[in-house]
Amino acid sequence: MDKSSSQRLPPLKRNWWLKHRFFKLYMLREATVLPLVFFTLCLLAGMVALLQGAESWQGWIAFMGSPIVLVLNLLALAASLFHAATFFVLFPRVMPLRIAGHSLPDQAIVAGQWAGVVAVALLFFWLFGRA
Amino acid sequence: MEKLAMNKPSMGKNSAQHKQAFDEPLWWGLFSAGGVCFAVFLPAVILFIAVLLPLGLLPAEVLSYERASALLFSVPGFLFVGAVVCLPLFHAAHRLRHGMFDISVGNDALNKKLMYGGAALVSIVALGLVVAGMLG
Repeated sequence: MDKSSSQRLPPLKRNWWLKHRFFKLYMLREATVLPLVFFTLCLLAGMVALLQGAESWQGWIAFMGSPIVLVLNLLALAASLFHAATFFVLFPRVMPLRIAGHSLPDQAIVAGQWAGVVAVALLFFWLFGRA
Repeated sequence: MEKLAMNKPSMGKNSAQHKQAFDEPLWWGLFSAGGVCFAVFLPAVILFIAVLLPLGLLPAEVLSYERASALLFSVPGFLFVGAVVCLPLFHAAHRLRHGMFDISVGNDALNKKLMYGGAALVSIVALGLVVAGMLG
């Protein structure tokens, strides 16, 4: 449905979200996808480089090591963790889990998801941590 | 999601046009799936590929041209791209669309086409690159 809200709602000023901490955090969370998109495009460039040959691949690794790219990707890493922290608490609210008639505590569901993050990191360590 | 009820009052049932949004569940589904991938897979992927690799902190040859090609241009590599590139892109497209609506940038009908269309296009290119590598 297109959101031609002008018919029903008074138009909001563009800075409405700056007036309250809750809405600032909301906008920050929305903005986590900006560095994510940057990283995704880097990854895409890496895939093209890999397809082109060994020399391009080395060139791509050098590009990834340039200071600005590195800083933006560190920002993407921080954004992914911030996104995870906000996303994981939604799960027990959207889909409460019940086991044998007892509802699983919210903290257990959140902890389980963080365990997933650690498990993926360990898998990567197993794949790339040794020659 | 509470966000839907809280921030998108225009999507309420007393919409003047009574247009049914058949596609919205698809976008919200892709948003959720992409959100899970972004949260669970991306921290490790970014840490290893975008931080440790360029800094030379991984053992030599773990992502040499030969090994990286063998890992990426395979069925697991195809699934990796689906989970790490495609789904998070639809998540990003959804958040960008709603974020642009929130700060009154552009027009939502057009933003929607641009964002989801862009995510779909880049996804197809990314998956196509893996298939090209598998064939080549």
